[in-house]
Amino acid sequence: MSRNLSVMMLSWEFPPRIIGGISPHVYYLSKSLARNGVKVYVITCDFPNAPQHETIDGVEVFRIDSYKNPSPDFASWVYLMNVNMQKEAAALINSLNGEVDIIHAHDWLVATAGIGLKHVFRKPLFATIHSTEIGRRNEIRSDYERMIHETEAWLTYEAWKVICCSNYMISHVQWAFGLPTDKLIMIPNGVNTEIFTENEDLKEPRRKFALPEEKIALFVGRLVYEKGVHLLINAAPRVLEKVNAKFVIVGNGYMKEQLSSLVKGMGLAHKVLFTGFLDDVTLRRLQRCADVSVVPSLFEPFGIVALEAMAAKSPVVVSDTGGLSEIVEHDLTGVKTYVNSPESLAWGVTRVLSDDGYANWLRTNAFRKVEEKYDWNKIAQQTKDTYNAVLNEYSRSFWAQTHRTN
Amino acid sequence: MRAFHVVSQMRVVIFSWEYPPRIVGQLADYVKRLADQLVKSQVQVYVVTYHDYLTGGHDDSDGVKTIRVTNPVRTHIGVLTWVLTLNQEVERVAANVHYNVGGHVDLIDVYDWHFIPAAVTLNKALNIPYIYSVESLEDHRSHGTNSPFNMAIKSIEWLGMYEASMLQVKSKWMQDEVLRTYKVPRDKTRIISPESADWIKEVLENYSSVARGTVSR
Repeated sequence: MSRNLSVMMLSWEFPPRIIGGISPHVYYLSKSLARNGVKVYVITCDFPNAPQHETIDGVEVFRIDSYKNPSPDFASWVYLMNVNMQKEAAALINSLNGEVDIIHAHDWLVATAGIGLKHVFRKPLFATIHSTEIGRRNEIRSDYERMIHETEAWLTYEAWKVICCSNYMISHVQWAFGLPTDKLIMIPNGVNTEIFTENEDLKEPRRKFALPEEKIALFVGRLVYEKGVHLLINAAPRVLEKVNAKFVIVGNGYMKEQLSSLVKGMGLAHKVLFTGFLDDVTLRRLQRCADVSVVPSLFEPFGIVALEAMAAKSPVVVSDTGGLSEIVEHDLTGVKTYVNSPESLAWGVTRVLSDDGYANWLRTNAFRKVEEKYDWNKIAQQTKDTYNAVLNEYSRSFWAQTHRTN
Repeated sequence: MRAFHVVSQMRVVIFSWEYPPRIVGQLADYVKRLADQLVKSQVQVYVVTYHDYLTGGHDDSDGVKTIRVTNPVRTHIGVLTWVLTLNQEVERVAANVHYNVGGHVDLIDVYDWHFIPAAVTLNKALNIPYIYSVESLEDHRSHGTNSPFNMAIKSIEWLGMYEASMLQVKSKWMQDEVLRTYKVPRDKTRIISPESADWIKEVLENYSSVARGTVSR
């Protein structure tokens, strides 16, 4: 192949449209692939004041006319949006004389567009499964949920390879859809260490959140049950017996009222600060100030917030579950605690806050680990290698032969 | 514009969500009669349709090649989501026809809204022109209600009319309804009369002009 490897990413969100984790994932992956010499086209939904077509960091972004009439329900909107996405992506590939080697779909939200494009152009399809319906809901209860579950299964069936971001998700997806092992590939999510490298004096920003003599124990995440914020609050009195600390809770969610009345009832209002949603710059600074970052989740497919803390050189204490179990090595890159246990959590937090030497050891190891394993550049290289391996298999298929004779 | 293969047979793919033995309304018998007549007029005819279990391709004894697809997503909340996930299977088998005959499909004739998304994608991807044959309109079927469900189907009908090379209708009344409802230019529409002796001749003329790309859009 004389020209560059070329891939078309399908994603329902891409900055500035940010709904969940897929948007930053596709952004950093695409940007890093482009830096590694891959031509990347991103097809995504439109967003107010974002142009229909632009080039961002070497990535060509096309925003399609998503379906804007009122929809009967979310899933119907997804399928209707996919009609437009498929139509516009088809026109684009045609205008490029078919010079797109791979279609890469992110989650069921772009399943039908990806599957259709695969067949009309006879190109290999990749699917990254970030999350599943059965995982989000714990079980399938209604026809609506089953329809989404079966659409996810169909996407993984049609895909040449299925990528997941953690070994936990690999085994979950394998179980949920009954896939053969050699179809699944684990490529971790990445974190961009550059966003934590500004040369700003942190004394000023720190003072907004804690007294100079208080250590900062930070939680970042949605205030929902599975994130386990209530466990951290219940661990607070035990920690405070040993160290003077401030618990800073960043984020919003349906449990906010409940959590703040829990704090008041425990007489800890002066020791626990709910900041609500913080802008990116403030949050990055706070993560760098944090003397410990706590991720007490009950359920966590990946745990990007732990990676961010490690990139910000803040020591991490996590519950030993899901993706967190893989990111953190106990006593080396962080502290693992028992799931759903305030006692265990208090022990971990106290240990980090009362021993600066230990905390620094964790910080150094964790940062090195992030640079080794979770660097976007390396993840893009791994992804590119996987693309090339599949294209090699594809070149021997009859689909590739039909293209040559046409 | 794609070249029309004057020397070779014309090759047409018909999309219809009903075809014998699956008969829902009057469309199945009409499309069957059409396919028979086209074969007798030396047109190579593929019919892509839905069946729940008789899936796959078949060379029928009357010379029509039928390909039946089913829905990979078995559970649905209504006809809209069912249709929208069935379209990728229609695309798959129609693309197979296209690649198997070296890219020489002259046109697609699509009946009603169900497989419009597939026809539009194949048109954009592989430059295959299509005729939208309008049997009925959501505006009539929904009796004036305009729920998000009805609007979704109407938006698919609109897309089908906008992207089509030609609209075929069976009566002057339906032509007026199409013009009234979707404001398409009159010269994009053609009336064919299934009851008249010239019916198949009219259809063939429409097919030829779309395949040659001589219809004004």
